[in-house]
Amino acid sequence: MSQKLLDVENLTMKFGGLVAIDNLSFSADKDKITSIIGPNGAGKTTVFNCLTGFYKATAGSMFLNKENERLNLRKFSDFKVAQKAGVARTFQNIRLFPQMSVLENLMVAQHNKLMDASGFTILGLFNSPSFVKKEKEAVEISKYWLDIIGLTHRADDDAGDLPYGDQRKLEIVRAMCINPHLLCLDEPAAGLNAKESAELNKLLLFIKNEKKTGILLIEHDMSVVMEISDHVVVLNYGKKIFQGSAKETKNSPEVIEAYLGTEE
Amino acid sequence: MDTAYFLQQLINGVTLGSVYGLIAIGYTMVYGIIGMINFAHGDIFMVGAFIALISFILFALTSIALPIVLLLTLLIAMVFTACYGWTVEKLAYKPLRKSFRLAPLISALGMSIVLQNYVQAAQGARIKTLQPVIQGGFTFMEDTGFTVSLSYLQIFIVLVTIVLMAIFTLLITKTALGRAQRACEQDRTMTALMGINVDRTISITFIIGSSLASVAGMMFVMYYGVIDFYIGFLAGIKAFTAAVLGGIGSVPGAMLGGLLIGLIEVFWSGYISIEYKDIAAFTVLVVVLIFFPTGFLGKPDIEKV
Amino acid sequence: MEKKFFQTSIKDSLFTGLIALALFGPIVGLRTVAKNEVLEVHPKWFIVLIIVIVCAVGRFLTNLYVYNRDQKTGIQSSIGKSISNFLDTKGYQIALTAIIFSVIFPFLPFTDRYLMDIAIMMLTYIMLGWGLNIVIGLAGLLDLGYVAFYAVGAYSYALFAIHFGWSFWICLPIAGIFAAMFGVLLGFPVLRLRGDYLAIVTLAFGEMIRILLLNWYQLTKGPDGLTGIPRPSFFGLPFKSFPDEGEQTFHTFFGVEYDPMQRIIFLYYLILVLALITNLFTIKIRRLPIGRAWEALREDEIACKSLGVNPRNTKLTAFAIGAMFGGFAGSFFATRQAFISPESFTFIESAIIVAIVVLGGMGSQTGVVLATVFLIGLIEVFRDFESYRMIAFGGAMVLIMIFRPRGILATRKPTITLEKSSSK
Repeated sequence: MSQKLLDVENLTMKFGGLVAIDNLSFSADKDKITSIIGPNGAGKTTVFNCLTGFYKATAGSMFLNKENERLNLRKFSDFKVAQKAGVARTFQNIRLFPQMSVLENLMVAQHNKLMDASGFTILGLFNSPSFVKKEKEAVEISKYWLDIIGLTHRADDDAGDLPYGDQRKLEIVRAMCINPHLLCLDEPAAGLNAKESAELNKLLLFIKNEKKTGILLIEHDMSVVMEISDHVVVLNYGKKIFQGSAKETKNSPEVIEAYLGTEE
Repeated sequence: MDTAYFLQQLINGVTLGSVYGLIAIGYTMVYGIIGMINFAHGDIFMVGAFIALISFILFALTSIALPIVLLLTLLIAMVFTACYGWTVEKLAYKPLRKSFRLAPLISALGMSIVLQNYVQAAQGARIKTLQPVIQGGFTFMEDTGFTVSLSYLQIFIVLVTIVLMAIFTLLITKTALGRAQRACEQDRTMTALMGINVDRTISITFIIGSSLASVAGMMFVMYYGVIDFYIGFLAGIKAFTAAVLGGIGSVPGAMLGGLLIGLIEVFWSGYISIEYKDIAAFTVLVVVLIFFPTGFLGKPDIEKV
Repeated sequence: MEKKFFQTSIKDSLFTGLIALALFGPIVGLRTVAKNEVLEVHPKWFIVLIIVIVCAVGRFLTNLYVYNRDQKTGIQSSIGKSISNFLDTKGYQIALTAIIFSVIFPFLPFTDRYLMDIAIMMLTYIMLGWGLNIVIGLAGLLDLGYVAFYAVGAYSYALFAIHFGWSFWICLPIAGIFAAMFGVLLGFPVLRLRGDYLAIVTLAFGEMIRILLLNWYQLTKGPDGLTGIPRPSFFGLPFKSFPDEGEQTFHTFFGVEYDPMQRIIFLYYLILVLALITNLFTIKIRRLPIGRAWEALREDEIACKSLGVNPRNTKLTAFAIGAMFGGFAGSFFATRQAFISPESFTFIESAIIVAIVVLGGMGSQTGVVLATVFLIGLIEVFRDFESYRMIAFGGAMVLIMIFRPRGILATRKPTITLEKSSSK
């Protein structure tokens, strides 16, 4: 059995008396798409916030397995999860840098690498050749991703001026620019039309297949979930009520009950 | 001697605390409702002090009895200063409700500069002295060598503060206006959709805040007997500290914070160093904001991701 | 319809007049004047009457001509936009002309001592504005206590120069480093605070430093200030009319007549160079990863965290670098004045520098220059109307926030473009 990329065990998050996540365990594979679904308020985004260090989990463990090391995600706080562990995320309500250009958005994502190359700014001030080279590489990487989402022609426009669907895609490739092991997407298809969500599926499959990056996906749009997920975890009231393949999930009585309620 | 000294400081601290508390209510209410630090509030307090001063001087020419003079001055200061609060909000803050987050603060900074220099231009830069309005008081513990005095003025200040506090707390907790205010704090758009006039609610908040600040101004001029156009700056910062210490957004918190700041300042000057008495307030401000930003009675501000 | 509108306008302006009467009646109309230690009230009803009429009529006219034409902000922003566009297209030429003009300025026929002094003062403010622009404009941290770093720079320069007799060129970097260290020291605990809290805390720090300078008599001589701060020399050659025995001075070395203007001109070039260094540094650092991270933090801190950008360190660098330039400007101030006291470092100085940055357009280097020339020019022209000019000054801050919250020059150029980098 291949090793799982992400192991979450007995994760619990309490806000005062409110239990947002209750003893949740699940795992995610490398080069697989794992979807987390559930009704509103089931605690999906809270799981992401715990994983990416924005919240401190009350209890439980989260481990990320890289080729030869096992990282305890609970040890990292917010920015370190992205910097040290390589877990990237997007947000439910898009968080781009609206007044910065599309290219700049992608360059900020490569900040840590470039920061080292600029010798903490000192070498950069004097245009050292090593820094110039690194910066060029970073621009190339950005251009590579812009080509994929077809936004190269808008690279120098403000990110805030892009249409909504393009902003979603840009946020995803911006997260990819930190070169993550695990990509956490919080409702990437929200607000997209049918054509845009088909493009999104293509992009996510590309990331999974070509980049071998594990994807953790929160989504309400079942067409996206069913079409591309390899594995589905269903939450309700902070508890896992089901897990399995997309097809199994669709036919599971527990899931139907959680979404539609019981007939009495 | 030590107990007497301590007691005296306590009395002075409570008096000063009442003044700060009254100003702090204005900060806390405005912060609660529109989430901005009304930087010009200290200068509104200063304007209130000037109006009270002018009123006292004019009444001194007449032979009206003291209690009526006090009451009339209180009302005059409240009404005229409220006009200032109302106008400042309309001119400098209302157009900025949808602007970026630091815009109202910068605008308030500009307004503060305007008010200070306007009063300086109109009333002159020199300090103004007022003859004591209320004289006399109780003295006790005379046998210990250090006389503790509790003046009628101090009693007046604390009593008026308590009465006003009670009235305004009732206003905020029990009336439709208070309900509207609390609703605006939660969600302004939704409140407007419920048919509540949000603009008017915000205006009234400024009017209440300014009139309470003017009362503080009146007490300040009576207590110290000296004012100038610059008093609003320091008093404003100290009152803001009080508001934060008590928990910004909470009216009882503002009062509690004011009391604490008054006590800290008086005891610091009494026991440690009078030169650095303003540093005490600033240190409290910095320490509270860094380590204890919700204050005593404030609600925690959870960052939503 | 017309008539009803007219009626409401009349009502509205009468109400405005009433409010104006309530506002200006007591404060302007009843001036308190001290006579024999007792205050008297001197009525000035005529002025109040004029103000009230102006307010009411003004309100009536704006009702008639501005508010009902749906172009309230149109005019102002179009002016700003055309200035921005002009500067965008001709930016390079304008900058070059401005630099050439400032280089030859001391030798222009109309330039006299008074103009030189104003120019030096303006350049000092431009430098401070550029320094603070890093903190406010790029990193988006509203620092209301910038004058503290200016003060730290000035005092550390003065103390080192007086007590150790070190030269300007040694003391200058030391003062800068001192100020930067102070920036880090202050910044470390406070930079995680939200925008408005940060503003108040920095203000408090600024005042604390001033109170400290006022009361730490052994070190700072308190309100008396530090005197006899050494004047800068021209790379070791002092500007002196009567050199000591065997001493080389500027005029003996170059074999020219002694002229007190020589020192002024030297000071002018000194601050010009310092300011230009600040500017070049900022332009360069904005294009480096750290500069981009500053702007990203200004835009969205949470997104930055999700991308692995360390918010605290990034903000701290902005704070420290801004403070360093403040410190440099402070040392220049100390050496130019040869005397410093806490009075030069009051809150209003911070407010002026903030106003320069805000007015010019946060993040805009050219905006800082324009705003300085405008604001300091305003202050100079109305030198004799101390409080009126400050009223105009504060009013300008409010108006800018209402009509052009991003400042006069609000356009932002990307720090890196695809076309340029791929054609390289």
